[in-house]
Amino acid sequence: MGTRGKLGQLVRWIDALWRAVSSLREVALETIGLGSDVDHHTEVTFRAVTDAVLPETPALGSEIGDEHVPGGLAIALDEFVVTYVDDGFQLGLPHVGPHGNIQLADPIAHALDFAALALCDRSENESEPSPDRPVSLLDPGEASPEAVRDAAGTFSKLSSKDRLRAISILDEFELSVTPGVDDLFEFDAGLVGQLVVGFTEMIYYSEWQGYDEFTQPPSERVHPNDPAAVQSWRQTGFPGFADGYAALRGYIGTDDGTLGDGETWTTIDSDAASPVRITRQPGSFRENEYDTSDYTEPYPE
Amino acid sequence: MVAESYDAVVVGAGGDGPVAAWKLGEAGLSVLLLEAGPFYGNEQWPKPNEEPGGEASSSTADLSGDLLDEQFTTREFEMINKLLFGPADHERGFWFRKFPGDGAILQCAGVGGTTLHYTGCHPRAYPASIDEQGHWPIDYADLLPYYREVEELCEVTPAPITAKEELFFRGAARAGWEFIDDYNVTGPGYRPQPNAIRPPDAKLHVDAGHDGGFTYPEVRGDTLALGNIAGNPHPRGAPYEEKAKRASNVSFVPAALRTGNVTIRPNAFVTDVRTETALDDSPTATGVAFRDTWTGRTESVEAEVVILAAGAIETPRLWLNTDLPRNEWVGRGLTIHFGDNVMGLWDAADLEGILGKRTVDQHQGQDIAARFDYPGLGMLQTVGTGPGIGAILGFGASASGFAFQNDPDDAPWDTMGRLAGAELKRLLSDYRRMLQILVVSDDRPHKRNGVTVSEALPDEHGPIPLVNYEPSRGDRQRRDELAEIAAEILREAGAAHVHRSDSPPTALHVHSTMRMGKVVDETCEAYDVERLFVADHSALSNGVGGANPTNTGQALAARTADRILERYF
Ligand SMILES: Cc1cc2nc3c(=O)[nH]c(=O)nc-3n(C[C@H](O)[C@H](O)[C@H](O)COP(=O)(O)OP(=O)(O)OC[C@H]3O[C@@H](n4cnc5c(N)ncnc54)[C@H](O)[C@@H]3O)c2cc1C
Repeated sequence: MGTRGKLGQLVRWIDALWRAVSSLREVALETIGLGSDVDHHTEVTFRAVTDAVLPETPALGSEIGDEHVPGGLAIALDEFVVTYVDDGFQLGLPHVGPHGNIQLADPIAHALDFAALALCDRSENESEPSPDRPVSLLDPGEASPEAVRDAAGTFSKLSSKDRLRAISILDEFELSVTPGVDDLFEFDAGLVGQLVVGFTEMIYYSEWQGYDEFTQPPSERVHPNDPAAVQSWRQTGFPGFADGYAALRGYIGTDDGTLGDGETWTTIDSDAASPVRITRQPGSFRENEYDTSDYTEPYPE
Repeated sequence: MVAESYDAVVVGAGGDGPVAAWKLGEAGLSVLLLEAGPFYGNEQWPKPNEEPGGEASSSTADLSGDLLDEQFTTREFEMINKLLFGPADHERGFWFRKFPGDGAILQCAGVGGTTLHYTGCHPRAYPASIDEQGHWPIDYADLLPYYREVEELCEVTPAPITAKEELFFRGAARAGWEFIDDYNVTGPGYRPQPNAIRPPDAKLHVDAGHDGGFTYPEVRGDTLALGNIAGNPHPRGAPYEEKAKRASNVSFVPAALRTGNVTIRPNAFVTDVRTETALDDSPTATGVAFRDTWTGRTESVEAEVVILAAGAIETPRLWLNTDLPRNEWVGRGLTIHFGDNVMGLWDAADLEGILGKRTVDQHQGQDIAARFDYPGLGMLQTVGTGPGIGAILGFGASASGFAFQNDPDDAPWDTMGRLAGAELKRLLSDYRRMLQILVVSDDRPHKRNGVTVSEALPDEHGPIPLVNYEPSRGDRQRRDELAEIAAEILREAGAAHVHRSDSPPTALHVHSTMRMGKVVDETCEAYDVERLFVADHSALSNGVGGANPTNTGQALAARTADRILERYF
């Protein structure tokens, strides 16, 4: 059996093991005092994800400005990402999760630990896992350090760069989840990376933070569309959504062809056989004769 | 009200289904168009994501620009979630599909289908991809009259130039490429996008000193604000049919309704194709069964002909989930225009010299308005996005890990891979001085790529689609060469830093899973089932050379409607 097969089995095993112990662990973790309905291990793991993907970056303050310092944790991005991946996908089976949605945050958190173990196993981690890292992701007084150490998995104990390395490892695997009693459900573990990196980035840089409450029905959502109201907009300079811009420069074309007409606004290429210009009017495409007989495949299959 | 039987039932009101419905309706046939997702901008469904609303719509009087304004907020995160393929009910998540690696399929549910996301680019196929690559049983010339018909209804015109297009064209010209003004492209060069978006009001010229608002009727046509991917309702205040972007819900759907013969029923997911088989004969399609996505109730309807237009993933999935005959090519030969993203970043002072202002401002102008064509390789196009969509498409995914894990050495880009952490924040702080180029390659149909289903993975509509995609060596070579051309154009345009994503396979354009010549004949009727037609991008025999596919999908659907009329009515 190749490494991939073995590791695939390991994923399944971890998943099964996790399912078996999760009820016991719920009881053990009740005392931590973190949020209520989300598994605490999951909560710590998603903080670690957010901290790696969109960290607080004090060094950027002096380099490009103080508005670039805060990261995802400052606006509770981690909590929303958990809600989002739990509500985001469905298999439409009535007995699987609220509204038929598959709750993916827990299995994703475990997949990340699995990836972290694989990274360490291959000795590709840059620094040793440390139980102090997850503790530092919580505000003082939020939970006792011992309790956080107990709840934290390997992923959250890695350095930020190593966490990203671990996420890359997941692109190699298939993962199986058992959402209902009899449903074995496999997906590419690459989906984990897509959700925890791609979606996390999209949510952060989008308008999300501006809503009073995104989980409200669409017709009741309120958004200020104020560039100052969204942390990431302050960082990108995105001015908010607009109804229009007076940004037209014109239409590209040449004197010889059918595109571009009217007064020239600027010239793009004065060396061309017929200068390419931006003009006031569009012209139209040419209904040209075409001859494909001298077509050659640049890369024949 | 939905009747018990129709002359034609069309499954899916996306990019192509409404084209067939319009043509058949115009010829006097009674047509039912069943759509899995909601109907936005329709008074029958004032809150389409919150309440079941009405049953069906058969009149343009139901269409409402005001509702579209309300529902299409253009806020990017909200609209992606609203439009992506899933049930109308906002409390329920996306319908899950299995896709390899960390790539994804982007398709929409709703009347208009994936054209709700699309950026309106409506070029024709490269003639050589149809006449020379050996996949198509018909000629490019057969499509020409249909292209013209579609272009007229979609009001295709040369896209307007704002700063970002000017920057790209300057780079392309300096790199030595030729300017093209043809519809039928046979050699490499750059040109404006043929866009199915009404041109902007002349008032919006930078020199015209416009100091008014951007709402209708003060401003007509496009308003040059980004928003096509996020549902473009501009100009706000305009009646439904005066919206600038001619997605199929704004172009073909009203045309279909106006025939008086077409009924559209949204929130109706088709789960079965009914057939009858006379002794020793092949099966004949007689109708479909569909499930109401709000109530869960299943209903059925009879038809003289059944037309599948559920898109290149769901059409084969539906076929595979019924007891229709097995054909080894059903679901196979998927092309996705295996793509990539190459980004340029500019210094403010350099931009001042090139553009006369210190920013590129990708949020201004049409999302995609400039292109580079290279028949045999594919195409490049400039893309303006909001920062959220830009982050996930351009930086959030890569087939080669994170940028800090790669040393691009003497590659034509400075960095490559996924971005996160301080690197991501630094780069996005330059959002307004950044231009992204989408690489769209002419990938070829391979039998291993496509859609299968597994009994073990069902949702409420049967086994879900499992998508496989592994590009060939040639596909990779075409993509790599295009990425290098993109980098060179950006450099020539003065970019100070060039970044390549090396994106994993991501499907924005999906086609050729029910290929003409393999699964359907030259009229797009299934070889193995009479009176069963395919009228969506799955019937394309290949990826049309890498050109944006919708014009060709729609032209083919229009042609198929004519053939249906000839053969059966
Ligand atoms: C971000 C983005 C930008 C794009 N930009 C462009 C562009 O500029 N130019 C271009 O040419 N292309 C573009 N595309 C691609 C283009 O949108 C698609 O190629 C086109 O919409 C495909 O048309 P179709 O009819 O094959 O499928 P779709 O448009 O996907 O339509 C299929 C419809 O069928 C419905 N459906 C599915 N299953 C069922 C069922 N079982 N029962 C009932 N209904 C069902 C779906 O809900 C959907 O409405 C873009 C795509 C994306 C994602």
